[in-house]
Amino acid sequence: MPELRTRLFAPARDPLWGAIAALLVSLLVSFLAIAVSGRDAVSGFADLVSGAFGGIGPLGETAIKSAVLILTGLSVAVAFTVGLFNIGAEGQLIWGGLAAAVVGQIDVPGAMVWSLAAAALAGALWGLLPGWLKVRRGVHEVISTILLNWIAIHLVQGWLVPGPLGAPGSGATVSVAGTEPIVAAARLPRLFFGSRLDLGFPLALLAAAAVWWLLTRTWRGFEWRAVGTGRDAARASGVPADRRICEGMALSGALAGLGGALLILGTEHKYPGVFRTGYGFDGIAVALVGGGTALGTTAAAIVFGALRAGATRLQLVGIHPSFAELTQGLAVLLVAAPRLFLPLLARLRGRPAAAASDPPIPTVQP
Amino acid sequence: MNLILDFAPPLVFAALGGVLSERAGVVNIGLEGMMRFGAFAAAAGSIVSGSPWIGLACGALAGAAAAAVHALLSLRFRADQVVSGIALNLVALGLVTYLLQSIFGSSGVSPNAASLPRDGFGHSALAYAALIAPLVFHLWLLRTPAGLRVRAIGEHPIATATLGIRVLRLRAACVLSSGALAGIGGATLSVGILGQFDSRMPAGQGFMALAAMVFGRWTPLGAAAAAFLFSAAEALQRQLSFSLHAADLRLEGIFLALPYALTLLLLALRVGRTRAPAADGVPYDPEDQAVQP
Repeated sequence: MPELRTRLFAPARDPLWGAIAALLVSLLVSFLAIAVSGRDAVSGFADLVSGAFGGIGPLGETAIKSAVLILTGLSVAVAFTVGLFNIGAEGQLIWGGLAAAVVGQIDVPGAMVWSLAAAALAGALWGLLPGWLKVRRGVHEVISTILLNWIAIHLVQGWLVPGPLGAPGSGATVSVAGTEPIVAAARLPRLFFGSRLDLGFPLALLAAAAVWWLLTRTWRGFEWRAVGTGRDAARASGVPADRRICEGMALSGALAGLGGALLILGTEHKYPGVFRTGYGFDGIAVALVGGGTALGTTAAAIVFGALRAGATRLQLVGIHPSFAELTQGLAVLLVAAPRLFLPLLARLRGRPAAAASDPPIPTVQP
Repeated sequence: MNLILDFAPPLVFAALGGVLSERAGVVNIGLEGMMRFGAFAAAAGSIVSGSPWIGLACGALAGAAAAAVHALLSLRFRADQVVSGIALNLVALGLVTYLLQSIFGSSGVSPNAASLPRDGFGHSALAYAALIAPLVFHLWLLRTPAGLRVRAIGEHPIATATLGIRVLRLRAACVLSSGALAGIGGATLSVGILGQFDSRMPAGQGFMALAAMVFGRWTPLGAAAAAFLFSAAEALQRQLSFSLHAADLRLEGIFLALPYALTLLLLALRVGRTRAPAADGVPYDPEDQAVQP
């Protein structure tokens, strides 16, 4: 059986066009869904665009949401690179957010940097766990990361935040208070007046550039990719595959943890009592649509970030913001089955459809 | 004990759905989304028709319809089964909220739906069905030719195909039935317990059902027993928070995390034979002999 990355992305020989086609089709379907329900879909979409790009305020919202999606998307993409399906970005993000919220309360010089580092470390540990379970105990990472997500959600949001780590005095009013606020020095500085855009977006872009460089330009990145495309082949040529898998999962968790830190240090300024992000799950969508590469993931994150930011405006015409989730889910459904598109794409590009309709999967033989 | 019989049925049905799909060799991460569609359709059907039983049927159908998408993508178009399931969950999250708002004009809860009749102990027929269904399913899977075929295509589809069994068709049937079971599980939440649809449903129950399936080692009886065990943890937590005024303790998170932690521990320690069916998640392609477990 081909390794994960090959299985996911090889059938779409044109990942870029496949992703764009999937996005367009899913937007079209969502557009029709709005039109069918009797609302003004055209002005709805105009609101969507202005809510995402119309001016410095909306652009800032898009950037804030994209920044977190870039990090969780990269998290999933890095795990793909070493051949693992990290469904656990949500749990890693939650621990990262909590670590940032706790360390951010300490008033020391460079509080922001310490908080970010703590978040990366917490996420890395929660990501390392499924990696270790995979190589040492043979536990499939899809199952273990799902379990770890829910362990993190319940432990942090059902126990630590309302309980031991909660702000004192909030005990009487049920669990909406969250933790104590972080100190001012730990907050991500805002970049422009009139927008909530903070240092998070540049940081996320920097992380994306670093991941791109690491994966495509370094020896370690090459070994990770080798492990991801053919574990046994890599092992046979002397790559310590188990180590590389654990490293990849730790980096994956660290990226998701940083995503949690951006939410806490940038916009929330404490770990709130009610914290439903979903960014970790969306990261899977982002990485899949982005073809599992650093560049594609960044682009997909910005598209979905804009969609999320714009969707809040749709409420004005009576359309629920869950519209963004619907579009995103449809896009993943379509990207998931590249064979749906191949004949169409081939025709558009003037190739004979028959040749492309069932491309051979390049199996990496062990 | 009464509380357990309240909490367990949604988990039991969904976990049985998971067992059916995965024993046939198709990973079903989409249980959560199928439950969500089922819960919503059951409430909507019950409101429109006035009969909770019609609502229940709508729930099962909606779950099966959602599963049909999973089957189409992963079997016909050979999409990755995990991805297809995740996509289904995402679509369910968005689409059901969207439908809730456009049909009932609310983003929180649906209007009250007629719920299933309850007996003197406060249980609906579904609670008793959840006790019997695992036994029936167990006998069917392990003692009938049809059950043997299902197990065979989950362990070695190629060998089964050489005996003249249509692997993809049977797998599709199993995925559809799995969705119907998950849909019934979701319907249990809406028309069975609450009497309305809540936009947060099923709030992770689909994933807990997945954990129950793994904890029960992919067997019907094991999965159902795990579902009851997990529900006991939930009921105990509910009891404690009533009796101890545990507002200051705030331990509910620990109790809720317990089922997942136990499942992970079981997998990590490899207690007993915790092995998925051999061909679970492996796409079967009748023409491409290179794709092999």
